This record gives sequence, C-alpha cells and structure tokens, in this order.
Amino acid sequence: MGCGLDEIATRLRGGERLRAGEALDLYRAAPTLELGRLADAARAAKHPERIVTYIIDRNVNYTNVCVARCNFCAFYRPVGAGDGYVLGFDEIFAKIDETLEVGGVQLLLQGGHNPDLPLGWYEDLFRAVKERYPTFRLHALSPPEVIHLSRLSQLPVPAVVERLVAAGLDSIPGGGAEILVDRVRRLLNCHGKATAEEWLDVMRTAHRAGLRTTATMMYGTVERPEERIEHLLRLRDLQDETGGFTAFIAWSYQPPNTELGGIEATGVEYLRTLALARLVLDNFDNLQASWVTQGGRVGQLSLAFGANDMGSVMIEENVVRAAGAAYCMDEVEIVRNIENAGFVPKRRNMHYELLGDPIFRERAVPRMLELAVARAGEVGAPPPEVARYPARSRAEKARRAAR
Amino acid sequence: MAADRQAGSTTAELEAIGERLRAGDGLASGDAAVLAATPDLVALGALADERRRAVRGDRVTFVRVLEVEAAAAGAGPDGVPPRAGEVRIVGRPANIAAAVAAARRLREAAGRTPVTGFALDDLVDVCGADASAVREALAGLREAGLERVAEARVDGVADPAWIELAAAEGLPVTRLTVASADADALETAGTVAAWGAAAASVRVFAPLPTNAGPRPSTGYDDLRRVALARLVVDNIDSIQVDWRLYGPKLAQVALTFGADDVDAVSPIDTLEHGWRRAPLEEIARNVSAAARVPIERNGRFETGTARP
Ligand code: SF4
Repeated sequence: MGCGLDEIATRLRGGERLRAGEALDLYRAAPTLELGRLADAARAAKHPERIVTYIIDRNVNYTNVCVARCNFCAFYRPVGAGDGYVLGFDEIFAKIDETLEVGGVQLLLQGGHNPDLPLGWYEDLFRAVKERYPTFRLHALSPPEVIHLSRLSQLPVPAVVERLVAAGLDSIPGGGAEILVDRVRRLLNCHGKATAEEWLDVMRTAHRAGLRTTATMMYGTVERPEERIEHLLRLRDLQDETGGFTAFIAWSYQPPNTELGGIEATGVEYLRTLALARLVLDNFDNLQASWVTQGGRVGQLSLAFGANDMGSVMIEENVVRAAGAAYCMDEVEIVRNIENAGFVPKRRNMHYELLGDPIFRERAVPRMLELAVARAGEVGAPPPEVARYPARSRAEKARRAAR
Repeated sequence: MAADRQAGSTTAELEAIGERLRAGDGLASGDAAVLAATPDLVALGALADERRRAVRGDRVTFVRVLEVEAAAAGAGPDGVPPRAGEVRIVGRPANIAAAVAAARRLREAAGRTPVTGFALDDLVDVCGADASAVREALAGLREAGLERVAEARVDGVADPAWIELAAAEGLPVTRLTVASADADALETAGTVAAWGAAAASVRVFAPLPTNAGPRPSTGYDDLRRVALARLVVDNIDSIQVDWRLYGPKLAQVALTFGADDVDAVSPIDTLEHGWRRAPLEEIARNVSAAARVPIERNGRFETGTARP
C-alpha cells in the first residue's frame, strides 16, 4: 500500500477510528486484498471464535402495491395494477407453517406502501400471528413503511411504533435506507418516502422503544464514493447514540426491470464496499453477506472480507428476483459454504443470539432447491379481510363499488 | 479463539513463503502444502497477486471466442462474428477425418480469425494413443487450417510428451485445462509445474474445472485453485478464468487472486440490454474495476491496444 494508506492501516490496527477522508482514501486506493486483510482482521477481533451465523426465516412481501414509486425498484406495482397483490392472512399463516417445518423462527415481513392497508390491518395481522404462533418472531416494516403508516394514520412515528409493538412487532429491518444522503434520495425518487433524517429518526425511535433493528445500504446507483461513506458514518453516529443496530447489510442495486436502469456494480466493488463497511462501522458487531445479490460464490467470499453472518436461509424472495437475480441456498448449502470457508456454522435469531447447530443435523428437513414466490399462480382479487378496512385509493373504492 | 490463532500462525508461514518468493528462491519443499492448507484465503490471494504482478504486470488479456461443436462444424457457421478473436472447435470428434473436415470448413468461414480446436487428449485417444497416427492427424489438421490445439486436459493427458509432440508438429496447445471438479487443486497445479519445459509451448493454464460437479463449487475453492495455480505453476505465465462458465463476478474477483487472462468472452455484440452491458464493455469495465488494464487478444495471442 502507499505511504498514506500504510499509516491508515497502522492506525486501524491500533484500534483507532476511521475518519471520512481516510475511509475514502482506502476505498479509492487500497488494493482489494489489502482492504480484505484489514476487514478480516477487524472481523476476527470481534469474532475470534470463528463462528459464522445464519438465520432460518422467510422473506415475505405482503403486498407489491406501492405509491412510493422509487425508480430503482422492480418489485412494486402501482395502485390498481392488474398484477398488484395483497397476501391474505391465511396465506401468511401457511408460509409460517412452511417456515416452521424447516426450523424457521421468524418472518421478515416487508411490502409496498399500499394506501388500502391501514395501521389496523397490520395490527390485526400481527395479533393473529402471535395468537397462533406465540414464540414466532416478526421482523417487520422498514422505516419508510413505518413513516407511510404514520402518514396514513396521522399518528406520530413513536405512537405507530408503540401500537405495532403492542400488536406483536419484535424488531425492524433496515430496508429503505438506500443511501442516507438526500441528494441521492432525490435522484432515486425515494426522498418522498423517507428523507435520510426521517429514516434515521424511525430507527432512533425504535431503539428508544427497546427494539433492535438492522441497517442496510443499497449502493451502485447514482451515489459517489464519498456518499457511501457518509451513509456509513451516519449509521455509525446513530449506533454510538443508541447501540440499537444488530447488523449491517450492504447490497448492490439490481438494475434489470427498473425505471432507473443502468448496470450492476461488480463483484470486486461489492467486496471492497463490504470491507470498507467493516472498517468504518467499528461499533457494529455483525455484517451480513449478501449472497442474494452476489450469488453463492462471491457471497461466500464475503466471509473473507469482513462478514460474519450469512444472512437468511432464503425460503422466499420477491424483490431481488423481480430485478432478475434468483440465487437460492437452503440450510444445507449455507452450512456447506460456511464450513468450506473454515468457519463454524451456528443458527441464530434476529438478536444474534445463538440457537444451536444446523437444524438438518438434528432432524430431517425438506431440501429447498428453489425459492418460493409471494403468491404462486393467479394474482386475483384482494383477500376478503382487506374489505374490513376502509378503502383509500380511488382504484380500490371503484373496485368495491363495482361488486 | 484457538482457530483464529491457528489461522494467525499459518499467516506467519505464508509471510515466510512470501519472503522466499520475493527473494527469487521459488517454493521450498512443503511450501505448496502450506499454501493449499491455509484457511487464510486473502493472505494466499495476496501472495498470488504479488506473483501475478511480478510476472504479468497489470495487464489482463481477454479473448472473444466463437465455439462451434465438432459435430456441427461441418454444416456451419456461414459467417463468423467480426469481433471474434478465435473460432474454436469444441467436443470430441467422431474420427480424425471428421475433425479435419470441421477444421477445413471453419477455416473457410473464419476469414483471418484464428481457428483452434479440440482437446489433445481426445485426439490422442481417437488415434488409439499411437504416436504416428497422432502425428498424421495433427499434420492433417494443420494442413486444413487449424492453428493451435485448443486445450489439453491435465487430468486427461497421461504423458506431457504428447504436448511436445503437438508443438513439434506445428500445432501447439493453447491451454492446459482441468476437466473434473474432483481434481485436487494442488495435485493438478503440481502436475503442470512438474511438466516443466515439456509444457513450454502452452500459453495459459486454466485451473478451474470445466465440468461441474454434483454440487456447485464454492468461491473459496475456486479462488484457492486460481491462487495455487499462480504460485505453484512456474512454467506457464498466464493463469486463465472462463468468463462464461464462472460468470463475471467470480472471474473478476479471480483477477485479484492471480489470474491474468479471461477466456470465452462472447463475440456477439448484443445491445439487448444497452451498450454498457454489451460483452466488450462489460469485460473492460470489470477488468478496470479490478484495477487492471484490459487488453483484447486473439487466439494467436496478438493483442490490440489497451482499453481505457
Ligand atoms: S422500494 Fe419499496 S417503497 Fe420503493 S417503490 Fe419499491 S416497494 Fe415501494
């Protein structure tokens, strides 16, 4: 490495905190494997026992109808679209049953900003889930969804969070962060759904309410390297303040089928970004590998570039798949990849508490060699329980009037 | 805790190997086994990358290949994409007459584009491992317009003398490849190195298996193979990855673990997904993003100018 980079590396090894300019120098100029070495050392310092964790859960997208219209999103459908859907409670219960069958412990539940699903729908869903499956966890509703509900219900964010927690919300996923810089958010047409400050504020509120959350970054759209670093530093600052983040997950923007278009960042850029995140986010314990966007091979290589968690055994995935990527790894594959990289696999829950060894070594579980989808077959009319709540969109009002 | 200490001590051993390599001493006995066993993939890659830089600089060559099945070569293609840098006949020929006919047909269709083809071990096998029959077959293929034998499988060639024979007959082998996903990475690289001067006519070694095993290979396994190839093989300068088989993500990362040549880039400039995702742009962008200089070559290893 160059002279300045050597100094930065020495400071890092001495446990000093990375400053913005240094992070940028590292990202721009450090050889990829040097970045990897530094990140791996930082990972080893936090996780010297060489355990790599993963969670068995299911990524359920309860609706694809969304008024936010982020231009990088291939998943959403506008209100009234023929292929818009809302999952029925029974469909969600069936997905939970399947998740339990393979040893799953939670749903990661996220969806579009559907104006016809008011706060009451979420409360009723969460209560119904907790009534049927008392120990099952709900890792649900990213900050923009919480803000959307705050706007729909005209309640402040803390009140919405409080009601959702009372109904059964266990933790909040860090989706919708994209890049926490408003210049970028405006260009991505996601400034309206949540500004950088609003996103951070939901997380601050959640942490104060005792919830743990994750944090994410979707890079590779229109941001500059210094804006990626600003994103990381804003997360680091909030973590200093609240300590509420359990993990950080970076993934690359998936351009196919989006309005924004463009090209995906390369595998090397992913590994460099991940390594840099490990170095900047010195107050985050856990970094997840994004094999869903990078594929199994580069996903596994994340473990050499700072990641200590393989994320979720993906039973279902709809958002990245809508943009053309459909990598699949069941528990057997995740464990094979972890062990092949020289680590010890352990199941965990959302709080990163260890739950045990691989479940398939304890009992027979069905192999999952293909990802499930939100809803197989026809999209059809909304499920009956949606009619219990007042319609808000013109399209839904018209649909109900026509019946 | 214990495991990371163990990884640390292995890293120290790697550093000692690095010192020896830097001093120009080459690998000592036992070094290759240490390299193969280390759990510290990044340290292994860093050694391989240093070696790559010493041997090849920051140039990464790539070739756009039109592959034509041996069985189908007699009937086509009528035209060769103008961007192809190599027309390659793939697959085992039914017999030498069919191989010669395929070479002749493609020579006519290819214009000035180099035509290569076949695996040397297949040709040897088709000739019943009879040296004079192999010589005659190679002469026939050369006369038909074949310029190089496309590959010889390390796990298929029993004796490197066949490689020397091909070179002596004017049809040198381009690539040493590995067919079986079960082939041991260290053993294969060791075999190639042990062939020494017998493999002097070969231009590249492609250590990643061309046949998929029952389960997909892992990123660690693939990069370990690439790095070991770079460190153990000292008789062939170029370490190659296959763009089509291994995909842009893995192939690009391999460029930081010792590889310096990319095979099987598509010769067809489809603009279906926009010009920035056209094959030439995509390879150049990936090579540049790995901090290397992309240089297109053809099947004769003639290079163009570096792309910005
Ligand atoms: S990213 Fe989320 S909020 Fe944005 S359009 Fe897609 S579903 Fe809606």
